Amino acid sequence: MDINLMIEITPLLVKAAWVTVDISARALFFGFFIASALVAMRTSRIPPVRWLARAYISVVRGTPYFVQLLLVFYGGPAVGLRLDPFTCGVVVGAFNIGAYMSEAIRGAIESVDSGQNEASRSLGFGRLETLQHIILPQAAGLMIRSIGVLAIILVKNSSLVSIISVIELTYQAQRLIGSTYKPLEVFTLSALMYIVIIYAVMGIVEFLYRRATRYAFL
Amino acid sequence: MTQSTEPPMVELKGVKKRFGDLEVLKGIDLRVDRGKIISIIGPSGSGKSTLLRSINNLEVIDEGSILLDGVQVNRPDLKGLAFERHINHIRQNMGMVFQHFNLFPHLSTLENVTLAPRKLKGMKASNARELGMELLERVGLADKAQSYPSSLSGGQKQRVAIARALAMQPKVMLFDEATSALDPELVEEVNRVMKGLAEEHMTMLIVTHEMAFARDVSDWAMFMDGGVVVEANTPDHLFSHPDQERTQHFLRKHLGAQA
Amino acid sequence: MEFDFSPVIEYLPTLLQGVGVTLLIGLAVAVMSVIGGQIVAVISLYTRKVVNWPLRFFIWLFMTTPLLLQLYFLYFGLGELILIPAIVVGILGLGFHYMAYNADIFIATIRSVSSGQYEASRSLGFGHLNTLFYVILPQAFYRALPQLSNNMIIMVKDISVLSAIGIGEMVYVSQYAISVTFRPFEFYITIAVIYYLINLMMEAGQTRIERRAAYRR
Repeated sequence: MDINLMIEITPLLVKAAWVTVDISARALFFGFFIASALVAMRTSRIPPVRWLARAYISVVRGTPYFVQLLLVFYGGPAVGLRLDPFTCGVVVGAFNIGAYMSEAIRGAIESVDSGQNEASRSLGFGRLETLQHIILPQAAGLMIRSIGVLAIILVKNSSLVSIISVIELTYQAQRLIGSTYKPLEVFTLSALMYIVIIYAVMGIVEFLYRRATRYAFL
Repeated sequence: MTQSTEPPMVELKGVKKRFGDLEVLKGIDLRVDRGKIISIIGPSGSGKSTLLRSINNLEVIDEGSILLDGVQVNRPDLKGLAFERHINHIRQNMGMVFQHFNLFPHLSTLENVTLAPRKLKGMKASNARELGMELLERVGLADKAQSYPSSLSGGQKQRVAIARALAMQPKVMLFDEATSALDPELVEEVNRVMKGLAEEHMTMLIVTHEMAFARDVSDWAMFMDGGVVVEANTPDHLFSHPDQERTQHFLRKHLGAQA
Repeated sequence: MEFDFSPVIEYLPTLLQGVGVTLLIGLAVAVMSVIGGQIVAVISLYTRKVVNWPLRFFIWLFMTTPLLLQLYFLYFGLGELILIPAIVVGILGLGFHYMAYNADIFIATIRSVSSGQYEASRSLGFGHLNTLFYVILPQAFYRALPQLSNNMIIMVKDISVLSAIGIGEMVYVSQYAISVTFRPFEFYITIAVIYYLINLMMEAGQTRIERRAAYRR
C-alpha cells in the first residue's frame, strides 16, 4: 500500500465525503416531510387521495433509484424541469426515500396496540390529539430505528449521483482510481469514510432511540 | 432360558452427569431386559430427562457406562470422526420421542418418516414409501401422509414422531415426556399408540408425568429425585405402597393434583 | 412540451436486448448470491475464527459500502490484474454484494432453527453434515425466503447501476440511443415502466412462493 498517496488524497476524499453527508442529510430532511404527507394521504377520507399516495409509493418503490435520477436529471428539461446536479440529487433522493419512509412510519404507527387508540378516544381525545399524545410517542422508537435504516440506504444511494457529476465520495474515488491507478488505496480510504459516516448515523439513531424510549427503561 | 445368556437391552452402570457445579445424575444403575417397559417418574429437575437423553448421548455423561444390547454407547476413548461414526450407528438402533415432537416442518408427514431410512439405510424410494405408509397406518395417520406438520394437531404430530422413530426399526424406544406438551384430550391417542408398541414387546423407557399410564403399561417403575433413583419396583408396588417417604410424598401430591 | 416516442419504437430491438441482458444478469446473480450466501453463512457459523472472521469482515464490508464503489473497485482493481469482460465484473460485483446480504439473512435463520430439530435428527442417527443438509439448511431456507425474495427484488433494480461500468443492460443501451436521438425523457420513462412491470411480476411471484412455503415453516 502506498501510504504517501493515501495521505495525499485524504483531504480530497474528506471534502467529497462532506458532500455525501450534505446531500444525504438534506434528502432525509425533505424526505421526512414527503413521507409525512404520504402517510396523511393514505389515511385520507377521500379515496382518490389514498389511491394517489398508494400509486406513488408503488411506482417509486418499483423502479430503480438510479433510473429515477437519470429520468429527472436528463429527462427533466423536456418537461421544463432544470435542476443542477446537487439539487437534483437532493430532490430525487428525498422523493425516493419519502416513499419508503412513509411505509416505515405507517408500520410504526400500526405497531402500536389498537387498545391504545380506543383508550385515548374513550377519554375524549380527538383523532389528531390521540396521534400526537398517545400513538406517536409509543411509535417513536420503532420509527427512529426504521428511519435510521433508510438513512443508511440514503447514504449508500447517494453514491449514484456521481453519475450526474456531483463531486461526492464515489465520484472522487472513481476519479482518483483513474488518475492514480491505485484502486486498493483509494478504495480502502473511501470505504473507510463511508463506514465512518454510516457508523455516525447508527450512533445518532441509537441516541435518539434511547431518548424516545426512555419511558420503557424507567 | 436363553435370556440369561443374552445381554440386557439397555444397561447403565454408575452413570454420573454434571452441569457445571450441579450434579444432576449421581450414579445411576439400571438394567432393562429385552421387551420390557420401564417407566421413570419424578419431579422436574430430578434428572429423569437427563438420564433418558444420556442413553442417546444427547447428553454426554461424565462417569459410568451405558450399554445398548451389549455395545457401549458412551466411548470416552473415541474422538472426533471415529466417535461420530460410532454414535450415529448406535443412534440408528434407538428411537427417541421428544416432548415437543421436533417434527421436521419442511417435510411432509410421510417424508418425515422416510427421511432416515432413505438417507441412512439407502432404502429405495418405493420401499421407503411402503414402509412409511405402513407405519403411518399403524399410528392411524395414513390419510395425513401428504400433510405438513404445521397442519397437524399436537397428538397427531407426536404419533408421526413415533412413526418416524420406528422407521429405523430400533431395538429400543425412548420417550421423553411424550405427552406433557399435549392438551389433555389428545393424550389418549398417543398413549394408545404406545400401548400398541408395548403389546408388540418393544423395549421402552418412558419418562412421564402420567402416573396411571405408567402403572398400566410398564413392567418396572422407577422414582427419581435429586439425581438418584429413590425407589424402583413393580408398578403395582411402587404406586400402591411405596417404601420411601419421598415417593409417597411425590405420589400424594401428584395423584392429588390429578384427581 | 412535446413527447415523441417514435425513437423508442425505432430502438425497441436494442432496448429489448438490454432487457434480456438485465434478466440474464439477474438470474446469474440470484443463483450466485443465494447459493453463495448459504455457503458463506455455513462457513462463518461452523468454522474456526481464522476462517470465519475474514468472511464476516467481508460480509460487513459489502454491507457498509455502496455498490457502485464496490463495482469501481472490482472493475479497476480486477481489470488491472487480469483481462476480464465487464459483464463478468458486473455479475461478480453484484453477486458478492448480495451474497453478503443473503449470508446475513441465512446466518440469522440457521440460528433460528431450534435445537430440538438438531436433536431429533441426531437421535435418528444423522451426523453433523447430514443434519445440516437434510434438516437445518432446508428449514433455514424456507424461513429466509421472504427476506431473500425482497433482496432479489432490490437486486434486479440495482442491475441498472451496472451501466456505469459499461455493461449493455437497459440503461446503457438507451444511453447510446439517447445520444443519437436526444430523447432522454422518453427512453428513461420507458425503462422505468419496464422495471415497474418486472417488479410487479416479481412481487406476484414472491407472494406465490411465500404462500407455498408458509406451511413448511
